[in-house]
Amino acid sequence: MSEYAMTSKIIDKAIPRIDALEKVTGHAVYTSDIDLPNMLYGKILRSPYPHARIKKIRTERAERLPGVKAVVIGREFPYLFGETLKDKPALAIDKVRYVGEPVAAVAAVDERVAEEALSLIEVEYEPLPYVLDPIEAMNRDAPILHEGLAEYKRSPIVKVFPGTNICNYVVYEKGDIEKGFAESDYIFEDTFKAPAIAHAAIEPYVTIAQVNFDGRITLWTTNDSPYRLQVGLAESLNIDPSNIHVIVPYMGGSFGGKGGVKLEAIAIALARKVVGYPVKIELTREEVFTSTCTSHSSIVTVKTGVKKDGTIVARYVKAIYDAGAYAEKGPTVLIQGCRGAAGPYRIPHVKIEGYLSYTNKIPGDAYRGYGFFQTQFAVESQMDDIARKLGLDPLEFRLKNLIKEGDINPLGQEVVSCGLEKCLLKVAESIGWGRKEGKYVGKGIAIGFKNTKTPSSSAVIVRLNWDASLEVYTSLVEEGQGSKHILAKIAANELGIPLNKVKVITSDTDITPWDTSTTSSRTVFHQGNALIDACRKVIEQIKDRLAEKFNIQRSEIMFKDGEFIIGKDRISLHRDINRVLRTGEQIVGHGFYEPKISAKLWEHHGIFWMYVAHGVEVEVDPETGIVVVKKAVIAQDVGKAMDKATLELQLIGGTIQGIGNTLYEELKFDKYGKIENPNFRDYHIPTALDISEVIPIIVEQPHPEGPYGAKGVGEGPLVTIHAAIANAIYDAIGVRFKEFPITPEKIALTIKNMRIS
Amino acid sequence: MKKTSVTFTVNGTKYSLDISPNETLLDVLRERLKLKDVKAGCLSGECGACTVLVNGKAMNSCLILAVEVDNTEIVTLRGLSRDEKLHPLQEAFIRESAIQCGFCTPGFILTAFSYLKENPKPSIQEIKKAIAGNLCRCGSYPNIIKAIYKVGAGNE
Repeated sequence: MSEYAMTSKIIDKAIPRIDALEKVTGHAVYTSDIDLPNMLYGKILRSPYPHARIKKIRTERAERLPGVKAVVIGREFPYLFGETLKDKPALAIDKVRYVGEPVAAVAAVDERVAEEALSLIEVEYEPLPYVLDPIEAMNRDAPILHEGLAEYKRSPIVKVFPGTNICNYVVYEKGDIEKGFAESDYIFEDTFKAPAIAHAAIEPYVTIAQVNFDGRITLWTTNDSPYRLQVGLAESLNIDPSNIHVIVPYMGGSFGGKGGVKLEAIAIALARKVVGYPVKIELTREEVFTSTCTSHSSIVTVKTGVKKDGTIVARYVKAIYDAGAYAEKGPTVLIQGCRGAAGPYRIPHVKIEGYLSYTNKIPGDAYRGYGFFQTQFAVESQMDDIARKLGLDPLEFRLKNLIKEGDINPLGQEVVSCGLEKCLLKVAESIGWGRKEGKYVGKGIAIGFKNTKTPSSSAVIVRLNWDASLEVYTSLVEEGQGSKHILAKIAANELGIPLNKVKVITSDTDITPWDTSTTSSRTVFHQGNALIDACRKVIEQIKDRLAEKFNIQRSEIMFKDGEFIIGKDRISLHRDINRVLRTGEQIVGHGFYEPKISAKLWEHHGIFWMYVAHGVEVEVDPETGIVVVKKAVIAQDVGKAMDKATLELQLIGGTIQGIGNTLYEELKFDKYGKIENPNFRDYHIPTALDISEVIPIIVEQPHPEGPYGAKGVGEGPLVTIHAAIANAIYDAIGVRFKEFPITPEKIALTIKNMRIS
Repeated sequence: MKKTSVTFTVNGTKYSLDISPNETLLDVLRERLKLKDVKAGCLSGECGACTVLVNGKAMNSCLILAVEVDNTEIVTLRGLSRDEKLHPLQEAFIRESAIQCGFCTPGFILTAFSYLKENPKPSIQEIKKAIAGNLCRCGSYPNIIKAIYKVGAGNE
C-alpha cells in the first residue's frame, strides 16, 4: 500500500460538471457581463491600408466631442508586446501593417459617443508597397514589414533575419537525410496547404482596465493566461508584475485565440489617461474576425523515402507558416508544428525545416493544435498516397511504421505512454475499415500526435476549513474544457470529501497562485500534479497534529480513502474534522509542479504526448460536390480519463470543429489583405444540421508522471481530422485534395473537369 | 432622438421605459435592465446567443428594436427557473453534459423551450433544424440534441 493509497472512486464516477448549474441558469459571469461604477467605453480606430506610413494624426475634434474622456494614439504609448518576439505596438506607431490594425482609441461615456469620436479623428497615411503571400514575402525584393527586427526584444529561441520578413527559422535533424533518400526504393514529394482559420469563439474579446492613483493596473479580461499576461505586460511596460492585477472570469470559448496581449494593452493606454475610471472595450464580431488573430496559413512540402516493403526510411519536411503582420505566438507555433512534422512514425533519417514569414495581414496565432494540424494534414495525406502506390493497405502501412512504447520518435525522444496503435485499431474497427459502403462513399483514417509545450509550471493552493469544506485556488481559466470540474474531483478524491464541499476559485492574480497558462492541453497534467501535492501537504500537517495529540510517531499514521488510520482507530477527514480542527481553524497546502527536464528551455520535446486517430466515412454528391461526413470516429490516448463525459465532449467538439475546418472554413482576403467574410453568414462554422454521428473512444495508456496517469486532451481532436476527411474523399471519388477547405465548389469543379478530359 | 414609452414584462416583472428608436431589445435587456444572462455574440442575428422569448417565441433580441416589444411578455433564461426550481430542459442540459464554455447555452435552452411548445415530441432531425440558428463553437451539438430529445414528451 502506498503512503497515500486512494481509490479513484470519484474520478470514475459520472458527476455533473461543477460549472453546469451556473451555466444553465445564466448565472455564470463572463467578462462582458461586468459593469463597474463610473465605467467608460472604449472604441478603436483601425487602419484601412495593408501597409502605410502614418504621417499625421489629428485628434482635437474627437477630444472636443461632449462625452469623450480620452483619446490615445500609438506615439503616446510607445511599448512593444509579444510573447517571444516583442514587435507589436498596442496602437500603430510609425506605420500600419495590416487592414484592421488599431491606430487610435477613444474612451467615452458610452459606446455611441466613442464611435462618433472615431469618425472625428483624421489620419494621414502614405501607402507603402505590401506583400500578402508568405513565400513572396521571403524574396529579397519583398517589402519589409519590420525594419527594426534586429532591435526587437526576443527570446533566444527566436531566430530572426534582419532585412527580411523571416521572424523565425527552425531545423531539426536526426540521422542522415541524404543517406536515407539514397537507401530508399521510392521517393514521394508533395506540397499541401492549409488556410487561415478563425477561432470563432461565440464570446467576443472583452477587456476592462482600471488604473489607480498609485499606478496599479487592474484588468478584467478574456485571456487564457492571467500570469503570462501579467508578466508579459510588466516586461513591455517596464513595471513590476505585482502592479498588474489580472482577473479572468469564465470564458466563452478561446481555442487558443484569447491569449498573448490583445485588447489589454489598448485598454491600459486609455485607462492611464483617465485614472480611476474603468475602461471597457468589447469587440464587435467583425472586429473579432478582422483584427484579433487567425490560425497560421501554411505551405508544407513532404518528401518521403520508402522501401518496397513499405518501411519508411527518410522524411524531409519544409514548412512555411504565414505569420501575418506580427509574430504573436507564431515563433513557438512554428517550433511546435515542426516538431510534429514527420508524423508519429519510426523513421531513422529525418530533417525538418520551418520558416515563419511576416505578411501584411492579420496576425496568425495559437489555434487548437498549435501548428500540428498543418503538418499532420500534409503527412497523413501523403501516407495514404504512398500506401496506394506501393499497393499496401493504408491501415497496414501505418501499423508497420507507427511509433510504439519504447521506440524513438522522429525527434529522437523516447516514446512513453503511447496508445497510438490501439487508437488506430479501434478507429479502423469502428468505421468498418475495408468494407465498401456505396459508390460515392469513402472511408479515411489518419493518426497523429501532439506534445505539450515544455517546460511550464503550476502552483495550486488548497485551504481546508474547520467544517471540512475545501477551497482550491488555481489560475486555470475555465473556457469550456472542464478542467475546473476535474480539479474539484481530484481534490475530493485526494482528501476523501464530497465534491459539493469543494470550491474552485479561479484566475485572480491577487488571490490565485502562479500558473504558466491554460494552453497546450496542459492544465490537468500540470495543475493536477500541483493540486495533489497541495492536498498531500494538508494531510501531512494533519498527521503532525494527530501525532502530537495521541503522542505517537507520525509514521504510525496512515491515510487511506479519506481516513487517518491509527491502530484500530479511524478518523475521517470529512466526518471527524472536529477531532482535528477547532472552530475557525484552517490548514493550507501549497502545491507546485514543474516537469524535471534535462534539456534547455524549448529544446525538450514535451513532457507528454497525446496520441490520436480519426476514422471517417463520407458520402460525396458528384453533382453538387457536397460532402456529408456520415460517421466520424475519434480515438485518443489520454493517459487516464479524469471525467468521461467532459472528455468525450472535448473529443466530439474538437472533431466537429475540425470537420468545419476541413470542409468549409477559410478566411478570404481581398487584394489588399482585407478579410472579405468577417461574419458568421459568410464564414460558416458547423451548425447542428452539419453534423451526424461522432463517436469518441477513450484509450488509456497511463503516463508515469501524470496525475493518476492522465495526460492532456484538448488539442488532440484537431490534429488528424483534416487528413482523415481528405483521405475519405479520395476513397470516395479518387481525387486527392492537397489543400483545405475542400469545398463543394472545388469538388464539383474537379469532377466536372475530370469528366471533360 | 425622440423617445417612446414602451411597456412590457420581463420574467414576470412589468417595466415602462423610454426607448430610443435605435435601441435593440438586447441593449435594453443587457445594458438597462442588467439581465446579463442574455449573451451578445454577433449583434446580427447569426449566432443565436442573445435568444429570448417574446410572447413565447424564441427570437434574436439583437434583431428586434425595443420599441417593437410594447405590450409583450419577454422571458430570458433566468425566467425559466422560477421558484428556484430548474426547468426540465435545464436539468437535461446538466444531465446530458450538454455544456462546455456555456456562452451559447442560454440561447439553446430558450430556442428548445419555444420549439418544444410547438412540437412537443420532435425527432432528432427536427431538433437539428430547430436549433440550426444557434451556434456552438465548442461543438456540443450531439449532447444538446440528446438533452432536448429526452425532454420531448414521451421520450424520457
